[in-house]
Amino acid sequence: MSEPVIEPEIMRISWGPQHPMSGQTRIIIDTDGEVIHKIIADIGFTHRGIEKVLENRTFLKGIVPIERMVMVDTANIGLGYVTAIEKAFEIDVPERAQWIRSLICEMSRINSHLYAFGLQAESTGYFPAVFLWTTVDREVILDLFEKLTGARWSFNFFIPGGVVKDLPDGFQKEVLEAVKYLRSRFEQYWDAMVENALFEMRCKGVGVLTKNDAIRLGATGPVLRGSDVDIDVRKDQPYAAYGDLDFKVITETEGDVMARTKVRYHEIGQSLNIMEQVANEIPAGPVRVNFPLFPRSKVGEAFSRVETSRGELGIHMVTDGGMNPYRVKINSPTLRNVHVFERLAELDRILVADLPVVINSIDPWYLDCDR
Amino acid sequence: MMNPYSLILSLFMLLETKVSILPSASLVQTGISHLKASLNFSPLDFIWSFLTVNAKPLIQILVIPGLAFILVFAIIAVWFERKFLARAMLRVGPYYCGRKAGVLQLFADFLKLFFKEIIIPVDAERILFLLMPILLPTIPSLTIILIPFASDWILFRAGSLSLPIFFAIAGLAPLIPIFSGWASNNKYTIIGGFRAAFLYISAEIPLVICAAAVAIMAGSFDLVGIVERQKNIWFAIPQILGFLIFFIGLIIEAERTPFDVPTAEVELVLGWRTEYSGILFGFTMMAEYCNFLGWSLLLITLYLGGYNGPDLFGNSLYSSMFWILMKLAILVSIVILLRTVFPRFRMDQTLRLGWHYLTPLSVLNLFIVLALKTWGYPL
Repeated sequence: MSEPVIEPEIMRISWGPQHPMSGQTRIIIDTDGEVIHKIIADIGFTHRGIEKVLENRTFLKGIVPIERMVMVDTANIGLGYVTAIEKAFEIDVPERAQWIRSLICEMSRINSHLYAFGLQAESTGYFPAVFLWTTVDREVILDLFEKLTGARWSFNFFIPGGVVKDLPDGFQKEVLEAVKYLRSRFEQYWDAMVENALFEMRCKGVGVLTKNDAIRLGATGPVLRGSDVDIDVRKDQPYAAYGDLDFKVITETEGDVMARTKVRYHEIGQSLNIMEQVANEIPAGPVRVNFPLFPRSKVGEAFSRVETSRGELGIHMVTDGGMNPYRVKINSPTLRNVHVFERLAELDRILVADLPVVINSIDPWYLDCDR
Repeated sequence: MMNPYSLILSLFMLLETKVSILPSASLVQTGISHLKASLNFSPLDFIWSFLTVNAKPLIQILVIPGLAFILVFAIIAVWFERKFLARAMLRVGPYYCGRKAGVLQLFADFLKLFFKEIIIPVDAERILFLLMPILLPTIPSLTIILIPFASDWILFRAGSLSLPIFFAIAGLAPLIPIFSGWASNNKYTIIGGFRAAFLYISAEIPLVICAAAVAIMAGSFDLVGIVERQKNIWFAIPQILGFLIFFIGLIIEAERTPFDVPTAEVELVLGWRTEYSGILFGFTMMAEYCNFLGWSLLLITLYLGGYNGPDLFGNSLYSSMFWILMKLAILVSIVILLRTVFPRFRMDQTLRLGWHYLTPLSVLNLFIVLALKTWGYPL
């Protein structure tokens, strides 16, 4: 990318891609001492052309590459694609399959939020203790995934017309046990980390995004809800079984890093509630309807919205009557949030020490961003 | 039996006879007799006599509080820290090297670092870049020689100058991060170096004021005198405020969590150490622990009664050393424990802590000590 001329007293630092905390991107910062004047996110290091790949696969085969977009949150991403196919083919999904989808999506959201939570702790300078605690707790979720789908990551469990198979025997009981265990752990996180005075010092009032700015810049997910905007696709346009489930949309008013962290924390609690509801109240019935291996699509287009753990994912699929989608456009949440992050240096005073804290508060996943 | 001292003496005597106009016969006689005697010189005897005469300073230089103590402390502290933090993180920690619990892991790491290539950046200032990590462990080691490990076990007995000398030597420390950060010619190292300098200065002023309060209470700048005045009651008890300030200042000076701002990994890679590789990096890591050791020993000497303690072994020397090492072990464990539970302060927050809170409170502590002294405490 082109690098504009900078003033002599300003130092330009290339933060990443070879940096302990940067992830697979380069963030160029212009600093004067400790104060950051400008942030340029140089994204695109992990561009893999997933949109193009999807054009060359049949509808079913496309589920595999699109789940690679966000490895900690494969269920929500896969559901977005599968829902788009179902809309294009006008398939009705059985109710039990919808409930199983909601269950897996919430487990996936907990998995992803735990990762973000641990990384947020590490970015404020915790020695990786909290990160490893959350990693250990994610094992509980991953074991459930393995029991249900046979894989711990990227399980390709959702197919157009339902899910691959029904819940195994005694799965509901294990879900309830996992919920109980995770609840007890979350109380400890709240005491040890979120209410820690030093953690508050680092996160309160840092990287403030006001309500107007959040809407104007197109933030999404916990970043938007942390700025007191009550938007969640699960409530606004219910998909899967979310219309029947009872949960709250979490918002915080401050709009700073602490608010985003708290939104994630409370969303994990809501996800645990949903898991419990599904385990107790899941209706009986079939889990899939038949979907042909090599289907012929109609000419038309479909658009699906799902709420992933990072925000709203939109998939616009155009079909031309062939066995492959003609075009798939992915509107990924991280791309939108990274652009919000770029503007934060103009909106609020950010120091070099705040940079990892602020960028992890938007929970970036650069593979999602670059697609 | 003869030793080289008298050989040198005899040579001087002969030299003097040459230059003097009228050599005295007796002087020549003495010189010749000494020379004859020195012909009986045997190296083994010389070494033995040298060792017996200088046994105490040699042990002090090589064993405690000298070379071996500093190295062993660094190794044990790093091993303990890794093992301890691993438990806090639900891990096992070093496991394979050594028979049990990875006790030899640090030796393996040291060997690995020793044989790794030292990469010098093209634009670096070569001499300063190479010199600084070698100078780095030296300065904290020089402070350790002033600490009394027993009433008669001090490597460098500076008398009433010992406390000022400690701070004079420790005051050199901020120069090294600045120089090495500048010499590395890297943006992260420069930011880290200046952060380190700011941090040291903001911590050192409260430390000096607290130490002055201790000196006033003890009526002496001599570290031995300060320890002797704590026979009945540790200064940590009347000066609890000063003790807490000194404890926080120690963590800042040792660049440990939550004040490891200059080497903040998630922000500045490794701060001013970023460009060092191989054994130079090993030196910088060892220096961190040397620094930590020096300030911890000073804290124990000033506030926790130094080597004072009940006589356990019927030998005052052994029991004094036992007590000071025991106190050191407990203090180090507490400081390491802090690392599991705290995130890092930001640069401006650390400076605000130093200038807005620690410095005024240390002056308040000084006034409290003056008042106590005026009312006749300690008796």
